[in-house]
Amino acid sequence: MKSHLQFGLRPRTYAEKKALWGFVCVLPWLLGFLFFFFVPLLTSLRYSFSSVDASAQGVTVRFVGWSHYAEALTINTSFNRTLFESIANMVVNVPLIVIFSLFLAVLLNQKFIGRTAARAIFFLPVILASGIIMRLDSTSLVQAINEANAGANIMNTFTSYELAGMMMEAGVSETVVDYLTGAVDRIYQIVSQSGVQILIFLAGIQTISPQLYEASKMEGATGYEAFWKITFPMVSPLILVNVVYSIIDAFSTNAMTELIRDTGFKSFNFGLSSAMAWIYFLAVSVILLISTFVISRKVFYHD
Amino acid sequence: MRTIAVFRLSRKLNRSFATSLFLFVLLAVFGAFSALPLLYAVNNAFKPLDELFVFPPRFFVNNPTWDNFYDLVSLMGNSWVPLSRYIANTLLITIVGTAGHILLASAAAYPLAKYRFPGSRTLFSIVVLSLMFSGHVTAIPNYMVMSWLGWINTLTSIIVPSLAFPLGLFLMKQFMEQIPDALLEAAKIDGASEYRIYWTIVMPNVKPAWLTLMILQFPFLWGSDGGSFIYSENLKTLHYALGQITLGGIARAGVGAAVALILMVVPITLFIISQSSVIQTMATSGMKD
Repeated sequence: MKSHLQFGLRPRTYAEKKALWGFVCVLPWLLGFLFFFFVPLLTSLRYSFSSVDASAQGVTVRFVGWSHYAEALTINTSFNRTLFESIANMVVNVPLIVIFSLFLAVLLNQKFIGRTAARAIFFLPVILASGIIMRLDSTSLVQAINEANAGANIMNTFTSYELAGMMMEAGVSETVVDYLTGAVDRIYQIVSQSGVQILIFLAGIQTISPQLYEASKMEGATGYEAFWKITFPMVSPLILVNVVYSIIDAFSTNAMTELIRDTGFKSFNFGLSSAMAWIYFLAVSVILLISTFVISRKVFYHD
Repeated sequence: MRTIAVFRLSRKLNRSFATSLFLFVLLAVFGAFSALPLLYAVNNAFKPLDELFVFPPRFFVNNPTWDNFYDLVSLMGNSWVPLSRYIANTLLITIVGTAGHILLASAAAYPLAKYRFPGSRTLFSIVVLSLMFSGHVTAIPNYMVMSWLGWINTLTSIIVPSLAFPLGLFLMKQFMEQIPDALLEAAKIDGASEYRIYWTIVMPNVKPAWLTLMILQFPFLWGSDGGSFIYSENLKTLHYALGQITLGGIARAGVGAAVALILMVVPITLFIISQSSVIQTMATSGMKD
């Protein structure tokens, strides 16, 4: 393979060889990515500037300029509000999820009896939400049970609902009760969305050499110092991963995605739906760029 | 209430004991949030039909019974396509999809993390940004790509895209960047080939990363129902087949609960196996900087 590529060319330098082999390794993955993620992405960009009609003759795409974007931002009644709410929710939840999952990963990395079971428990919401239960569509009671399993319904019955009832009877004002139950529901959201992030941090902590901790202990460092001077810098590249993952994860459930889906597949306005998705995409990208910029200044690489 | 008690204890007892007790309580509280839905599903699967419909719903089962599972077996015995066919389809998708994804993603992540070639930074930014896009909007373009490739109604249409998910590359790259360059250079000076460095140094050192990736990818593919790409009954997945059973309405509620439990057990088992095999790696041991 190598000699074929070099045939008839001047001998390559070491750096060039490295670059070539690097590219060869990336190629199979890159092909898949281009076909199944990048091409559909570009097609949807084209759709967002067109009106798309599906008929027996096939799909006809007619260029209409910026009108879908204008419609989404100025005419559609729910788009602006949903966009703002989804992003605000994301900005509040993502940092909380990342901090909570780092905290739990450190706890779950310690040696105690039933550690694997404890890890499994925190990973459960991911399995429940990964579609195994949710996609069992049905109109029966099972669906209600499944929804309760996948969503927060059951938790509401068990926590905030009873809590709210008790506090109301005790004469606490309604505003306070609403605030508290809101906080409880958010805790549930955060716990149930942290499964993957905890795992990623755990894997990160496991790649830290135990010698570092031993050495710091000999020098008299406390556990608190060891966390900030060893654990935190060593897992800092993964904070970015987890921010990105939390944002993607927020996608699969939030109101914005529902609006995009309903516009596309219930009202069959596929152009408008694509335009909405692109506006949302750009807004999220801006947030991501800012957070990447802030985080990457703090990230520590071991080399 | 409880925390006050812990603090009082801490004055007399060993402080680390009090701290760990406090942390244990904290873990238990958060854990309860996560574990309740599973407990509920387990209880439901063993409830007889009359208990399933009690209102208000009861959490724990009173008279546990295997009836729901017997019903499931007899129902599957009557199906037109044998159950083993669904299982084989699902296993093929999950195993090939998961293993292939880990291989392709890590092979692509290694040069992105350790060799800078022209355009590698741009490529990586595109990958990260593409993660941010809503799947519903790309559904129709995706279908058109599949039909252009002629892959509609084949298992390839599920397996091949799953190999190229952007998340795996992103995760593997971040982990591989943490391997010190000095380690790779030392191997090179000792005469190891790139291939050997990749298999005997890079991959073992990021074992926690690819085990995590496996845990992420497996339940996703396990829960795949063939989507809009597969319409032949004999190519459908186990998830789809069992899902159809619950379409029977109220009478199938008990069987549905049993189905939910069976589908959950496999990913959870895999998770426990893989987590207990994770060990500390030694990437940075012996480094003097």
